[in-house]
Amino acid sequence: MKRYILLRFMQLIPILFGITFVSFLLMYAAGSDAVIQKYSLTGQSVSQAVIEAERRELGLDRPMLLQYAAWLQGVLQGDMGRSFVTGADVFGTFLDKLPATLLLTLLSVLLTLAVSLPLGVLAALRQGSRGDFFIRLLSFFGSSMPNFFVALLLMYFLAIRAGLLPVISGGSTLSAAVLPTLTLAIAMSSRYTRQIRALVLEELSQGYVAGARARGVPFRQVLARSIMRAALPTLLTLLALSVGSLLGGTAIVESIFMWDGVGKMAVDAINARDYPVIEAYVLWMGIIYVAVNLVTDIACKFLDPRLGAPGTEGSR
Amino acid sequence: MKKTLAILALLMCTLLLAAGCGGSQEQAAVEKEKVFVFGDTTFNPENGEGDLDPHKDNGGWACIRYGVGETLFHYSDKMEVEPWLATKFENIDPLTWKITLREGVQFSNGKALDGAAVKACLEHLVAVHKRAAGDLKLASIEGEGQELTIKTRQPVPTLPNYLSDPYGCIVDVSAGNAGGITVGTGPYKAVEAVPGSHVELVKNANYWGEVPKLDRIRVRTITDGDTLTMALQSGEIDAAYGLPYSSYPLFDNEGYVRSSTPTSRAFYITMNYESELVRDPAVRKAVAMGIDKEGFVKTLLQGNGYAAAGVFPDTFSFGNKSVHTEGYDPEGAKQVLEAAGWKDTDGDGIREKEGKKLTLRWLSYPSRQELPLLAESAQATLKAIGFEVQADVTADHNTKKKNPEGWDVYVSAMVTAPTGDPAYFFTYHCLDASDDNVGRYHSDRLEALARQMEGCFDLAERGRLATEMQQVILDDHAFVFCSHLRMSMIAKATVKGLTAHPCDFYEITAALDKD
Repeated sequence: MKRYILLRFMQLIPILFGITFVSFLLMYAAGSDAVIQKYSLTGQSVSQAVIEAERRELGLDRPMLLQYAAWLQGVLQGDMGRSFVTGADVFGTFLDKLPATLLLTLLSVLLTLAVSLPLGVLAALRQGSRGDFFIRLLSFFGSSMPNFFVALLLMYFLAIRAGLLPVISGGSTLSAAVLPTLTLAIAMSSRYTRQIRALVLEELSQGYVAGARARGVPFRQVLARSIMRAALPTLLTLLALSVGSLLGGTAIVESIFMWDGVGKMAVDAINARDYPVIEAYVLWMGIIYVAVNLVTDIACKFLDPRLGAPGTEGSR
Repeated sequence: MKKTLAILALLMCTLLLAAGCGGSQEQAAVEKEKVFVFGDTTFNPENGEGDLDPHKDNGGWACIRYGVGETLFHYSDKMEVEPWLATKFENIDPLTWKITLREGVQFSNGKALDGAAVKACLEHLVAVHKRAAGDLKLASIEGEGQELTIKTRQPVPTLPNYLSDPYGCIVDVSAGNAGGITVGTGPYKAVEAVPGSHVELVKNANYWGEVPKLDRIRVRTITDGDTLTMALQSGEIDAAYGLPYSSYPLFDNEGYVRSSTPTSRAFYITMNYESELVRDPAVRKAVAMGIDKEGFVKTLLQGNGYAAAGVFPDTFSFGNKSVHTEGYDPEGAKQVLEAAGWKDTDGDGIREKEGKKLTLRWLSYPSRQELPLLAESAQATLKAIGFEVQADVTADHNTKKKNPEGWDVYVSAMVTAPTGDPAYFFTYHCLDASDDNVGRYHSDRLEALARQMEGCFDLAERGRLATEMQQVILDDHAFVFCSHLRMSMIAKATVKGLTAHPCDFYEITAALDKD
């Protein structure tokens, strides 16, 4: 197992090298840079001498490969550099933004599970009933609406019409988290409800369920101990993908609610061509996806021994 | 089913209650004070506003807009320089200026504003701020009592204008800039500044002018236009700057007031003189006659702009009214093209000449919401006179515009007179030595006039030269000015003293109040 984990982390090296290089290349190919972008956004004309001096200060006058090599050298020495825009230490900035994203991820995953698990199971158990139809209809609407639209609807009804919640957050607090959490959870719950329903239906058609019921095992016990347990690895894999994506920040939701997380940070950095911050974000995303998938693989193995130990033939 | 729904309802209520409690506690804390909340799109590092320090990037904009800092001179509603922290200036010789400072002014920390403090501030400014150093060209500064003597390395006729730029906010440099908080002389002082999030201001008890009426001001950075709109609708903010045009009708009722003014931010076309097509004077003239400026402003900008004639808006003495140019005249444009040999021989609606189609490559960018709309408008109106417009509205415009073979016209939005002086636009965009003369335009007459303006200290004469210089570039159809931005701020009807200014620098002032 230790060897397997080590191997997975070793695989991170070429992945991180590849994605950071490609993203650097793409940013370069997109044109403009932090200095030009700053003056362009504010509509100011400044002399070429000022622009050149500022570019030189940031090292933007060097060829792209040299810029990337300098950044890589810094990272290998534990220095992620300074933001071109704020001048602040990139790692410190990143750590400042992370708690807000972690809070939003945790709350939205919890709310998603709290909503989708009971509804998905209920819909499967009452397959074909009016309740099932209603739940499927709701999940259809929920997953059809884009996040920004849901966000605006929630703002309008809960903040403007009902006056229950603030439109703008006063920081990364629980009260400020309600609207962004609801926004994320509505789309995720809708998707998960349908998936949980399908998973439970599939398990219900298995022979072991009929066998257990024929032996007089109470259905609640079959549901909790067999059906849900069998569905858990698939559910966990789906959740891992969602958590990975949420930990990368939800740029649109964070921007709309002025939620100061890493997603908003990444969007702002892209607009300003703040290369060191963008590269830090790319690194973070790479690490998150590999780590979350690894944890999920290991967890699945413990939940369902039929899958075999990670790294063996039977593994997922 | 019922149990599940009950659990879900309980969960929702808990979340809502948690939210409600937080809000009411905050409200109770601020109720004792007169608090004004201002929603703004601009205070963030991407705009170069990393904090309130006028000596860093565009930090001066936040410093002056939010009433923390003041400059020696400021701009009137006609963008003319008037005394502020200084009471008068005298031009001893082309290189020497004598400035008298206002008596009785203190920084918000109680320190007196005198010649020594201003000297320290300006010396620090030119040491760290490249644009300021390039503008001011300071050789030396002497400060004694309330007198300040400034010597420049070469004649700078517009020195008072440059000293009115936000970077010229006079701050107490000896107080430092801990936490991004700068000590200025304005009616409010900053107690917290978090770029991209908020600025917290309190009344400056030492203010030299009219007593500030508010105890506390909270400026919230809200970059999303819809969120800003809803925050004003819900009453969480008292006023907003930077609302999307589409939101304005929501506030056209007695609950809100709007203050608007034309600014010198112009949306204009630059002709590329290295393009064979554009070198044809008939093509340039036809483009100038084929842009429906009034229609663009009225329909696409929903009235949130002013049709332009020249470089500067009507608020300037040398503004639109002082120059003349072609208006929207599609029939006239057709005649101009016909006379120059551009005819539609194959009946496809696009004119040709010597086998070449009248195809105009339009380069622009999307970061200003008006520019893509202008491209759409021009595509329609120019097509009606026989042009095919190929619009390339791209974020990569800065790279593309450097290749003169890749475009015919470049359409941009620039502040044409940020310091109120007319030389700025010509210096940067129209002369042989200009850094941003992207169209490679040249006019002997314009070069001669620019040389005259360079050494001219008389403001009336500078205005006359500005009018003549505008007329030269308009007669050559080297530039087509389509519209000027109308800057608006919308506030609750209970707000008083929030007035839009043509230069966009003065928002929070001592006059600001709310019932």
